[in-house]
This record gives sequence, C-alpha cells and structure tokens, in this order.
Amino acid sequence: MSDDVRVNGEEPTTGEAESPDYDNAFDAIVVGAGLAGSAAAVTMANEGLDVLVIERGRYPGAKNVFGGVLYTPTLRELVDVTAAPVERYVAEKRFSMLSETDETAVSLRPGEWHDPPHNDSYTVLRGEFDRWFAEQAVEAGAVLVTETTVTGLLRDDSGKRIRGVETDRPDGAITADYVVLAEGGNSLVSEGADLKSVERAENIAVGVKEVLEFPENDTAIPDRFRLSDDAGASYHYFGEGAVGSAVGGGFIYTNEDTISVGLAYRLADARGRQPKPEQTLNAFKSHPAVAPLVRGARTVEYGAKTIPEGGHESVPQLVHDGAVVVGDAAGLVLNNGVHLEGTNMAIESGHLAGEAIAAAAQRGRTDEAALRSYPERLEASFVVKNLERYGWLMERVEADRDLIFEELPHALADAGAEYFRMDREPKEHHAEAARDRVLEAVGGWRGAAKLAYRYREVIR
Amino acid sequence: MSTTTPNVPNVTPEEPSVTNDSLADRLYTVRYDDAGDSHLGVKLPGICAEKCHSYDCTSVCPADVWREGEDGVPHIAYENCLECGSCRWACPHGNVEWNYPTRGAGVSYKKG
Repeated sequence: MSDDVRVNGEEPTTGEAESPDYDNAFDAIVVGAGLAGSAAAVTMANEGLDVLVIERGRYPGAKNVFGGVLYTPTLRELVDVTAAPVERYVAEKRFSMLSETDETAVSLRPGEWHDPPHNDSYTVLRGEFDRWFAEQAVEAGAVLVTETTVTGLLRDDSGKRIRGVETDRPDGAITADYVVLAEGGNSLVSEGADLKSVERAENIAVGVKEVLEFPENDTAIPDRFRLSDDAGASYHYFGEGAVGSAVGGGFIYTNEDTISVGLAYRLADARGRQPKPEQTLNAFKSHPAVAPLVRGARTVEYGAKTIPEGGHESVPQLVHDGAVVVGDAAGLVLNNGVHLEGTNMAIESGHLAGEAIAAAAQRGRTDEAALRSYPERLEASFVVKNLERYGWLMERVEADRDLIFEELPHALADAGAEYFRMDREPKEHHAEAARDRVLEAVGGWRGAAKLAYRYREVIR
Repeated sequence: MSTTTPNVPNVTPEEPSVTNDSLADRLYTVRYDDAGDSHLGVKLPGICAEKCHSYDCTSVCPADVWREGEDGVPHIAYENCLECGSCRWACPHGNVEWNYPTRGAGVSYKKG
C-alpha cells in the first residue's frame, strides 16, 4: 500500500539517488504520468490496487506537448473536475482554407457551447493540467515517482510474461503484476520490448507550437477572437498558406491569457528540401489572414512533438501477459481533417485498461486472456469506432492532396472574389464566373459529383 | 488614365508584419537540464557517411539538433532537443539512436 511506503520514511516524489525498495510493493506500474497514465492510475487506485506511476520528467507534464484542446467526457466520470486547471471552454470552431494570399473560412458558434458542460471541450496547458491530473491519482492512493526513466521491461524466465520495469535508478528493477505502458507516441520502451513495431514516417506527423502572450495588451485575446469571460476559440487552418505543400494543418487556440499557435504535418512531407518545421511555422504566422491575430505577441514557450496518425491499422496489440498499451503509445489519435482528437481517447483507453487490470487482479490472473476486456471494450467504444470510420480518409486525402490543399483553397477564394465582384456587370455574370472557377478546379460537374461521392463518408 | 496609378481613394493596403523569434530565442524559452552526455546518436556512422544523401534528420528537426557534419556524419547538438522524436522516424536508414534522457534531464515544458 502506498501508505506503507511513506511510513517507511521514503519520499516518493523526490529525485534522491537512493531507491526505495519498491520491489513487489505494487500491483501495477504505470509508465508515464500523461493523460492515459493518470487515467489508468486513478481507475486502478479507486479499485483498491496499489499503483506506482513512474514519470521521466521533473513533474507530470514536463515532457508533454499537444495542440491545445482537452476533451473531458471520460475525465468527468473519473475525477472531480471543478478545480481542474482549464484555460477556456471552446465557444467557437473556425475552419479556414488558406492559399498563399487568400482565406476562405467557416465559423460555428452554437449557443449551446456556452452552457455547461461546454461540449466537453476546453483549452489547457499540459504543464499545469497533467500535474493536476496526476495529483488526483495520488489522492486516490497511487504513488508518483518523477525524474525516473523506465529503460526496459522485465520478463519472467520463459520470456513471455512481463513482470516489471527496469529504471535508471540504482538497483532500478521494480516488479509488479501489471505494467501499463503510457509512455506517449515516442514509445521507446514498448518498441524495445517488441510490443509494437516502428511506425512508418508516412504515419507520423511532426508538430511545432508556440505559446504567445500579448505584453501590455490585456484585451488582445477577447478583442481579436471576439470572446468574453471564459469563452475561447479553436481556429483550424488548411492549405498551402498553413503548411505549404505538406498534408497537415495549422491551429490557433485561445488560452486564458496566452494563445497556442502551431501546425502539424506528415513527417514524410518534412523530409528533403521542404522548409524546416520552424520556418513553416514562421510562414503560417506571417500569412495575411493570421498575422493580424498574432502581431505584437511575445513567445512564452516553443515546443515540438510527434503525433501517431496511422489510424486503426497502426494500433498495436494492446494486451500482453502482464502488460497493456494505452494512449499515444497505442496510436490512439484521430485526425480526419475536422476532428483532431487524442486526449479523450487517451483517457478512455487508460480508464478501460485500468478496469481490465482491476478485474484480472480480482481473479488473481495476469495473462493476456484475462486482460482482453480492455481491447474488447475499446473496440466497442468511440475510440476504435471513430478510428475505423475514418480509416479510409488519409489515403484518399493523400491521393487528392494537390486538389485539396492547393487548388481548392485557390479556387474557392477566386470564386468568392468573382461572386462578390463589384463592377458594372450584372450579378448573373459574376455568379457564372464563380461557378466556372470552382468547376475548373474540380473537373466539371462530373468531377464535382465524383469528389462529393469520394468524401460522402465524412458527413454520413 | 494610367494603369499604374488607378483612380482610387487614398487608402493604405494592409501589410501585416509579424516578428518571429530566432530559433535560439525560442529554445531559450524552455528549460534544459544537461544529463552530461547525449541521449541521441547514430548507430553506424558509416551509413550516414556513405549511404545517406538526403540528411532527412536535418530537415525534419524543429530544433536544429541535427546538422550536417564535415565527414558526412551529422553533428548532434543534443542540448537543443525538444524530445519530439521526429529524427527517429525520418531517418530512411533507421540509423538514429534515441534514448530517453535519464533522471529528469533534458527538456522541461512549463506550458506544453
């Protein structure tokens, strides 16, 4: 029990060189105190298991970067969120196509989003949020150890069952019945233990992000993004004005008194003679439709991360004898262009894995079959259902990349310019010119019908 | 009427300007604790020197950690590393050696 450890005089969260004797003191070890790891830890601790959470950063969140929106439907079931450190609720979603000089945008501000639970969508900063979430796990009874890196997994003599972790502490091996691998997308431990293979560069996105503040301008965020009180905005950008010729997009999210500005695109498109991610970010921030939103800002923090975007096919085997894989480490991220989700899937997977472990522990079993309720329930949940639903999309977008990311943003902007052209021609001519411009881009009426058919599943 | 000076009201077109920090200034915004030795490396320097012509590690890195070296083997400024892992997948030869920095070392994000 965690209390025993503290009674023994060890302070689990400090970086002392001495290793407390944790061997066999815990039922389960969670590798990584991110969203999936803390969700698993809270769930197992609530079920009465003795849980050790090992975090390699100086504090939970120290190594974690994301775009900006936390989705909370599962989180609210797990912990009391009334004191959670969120920045703003998302009151507007705006989708914008950028050519080099044009912007064509759609904005949604449903009144309902102003009312609790605010569509379960909040901007957060992970440095603060992950620390808070890990504290909830500790309050539920889990023990958190930071500044400790898991370097490998321990197996039993047969080599089949995972029976603990190896760490960088002196005498750093710690055994436990179950190991939860919640190490994130850069999953060195899982790969090193052959629990998953190395992903192809086509299925990984590189993301860069700046957190910006507006010195001496307290009203910049509410004024520029049309917000009051705790309302916030989520702006997504597509097209060559956002990420050049790459497949990906840019974003701006409003925090309480900063904004998160960044972009993510396929690593395969970042190779070769492409501008570096940092230069692509500079170009995005300098776009005529973006620059007025960010001018006068000062960089508070620059960060980078990779995102596993391989979809359903890239999800590795999730259960092993004595171990489960959750969150980004399991490739549980959805990007279908309009939905960019990962936080909700991480929390759901951590929670379901935690429940499967608790049920197996009750029966005194650690084998893979006893843990199978985790992948089964995940398959039946929104997590895998959503991944399956959009599994076809990335391949098709790749095939249509020139049309979607370059020709359409141009054509729609040109069509808009034609439709609203102010001269002495009758509007009939303008409407025709607008229509012709779009049809030219998509290949006539026939092409338009084919395009609509190819992407019908997006709105089905 | 001349086409170069159209007859329009005197308005100033928008010329948005944004000053972007240099990469050095950007990297200065995150804390870095030096573990003493590099958590990054190349597995076989010969592959970089002889087989690699694309230097994808240098193109994808958001923090200018990977730089072309004189002998064809990249120079690694590991203390710039933001720990995104891009280089690991980008290398077409799978030649990047990547270890988590130990004992809390490496980058620390406050915001994330």
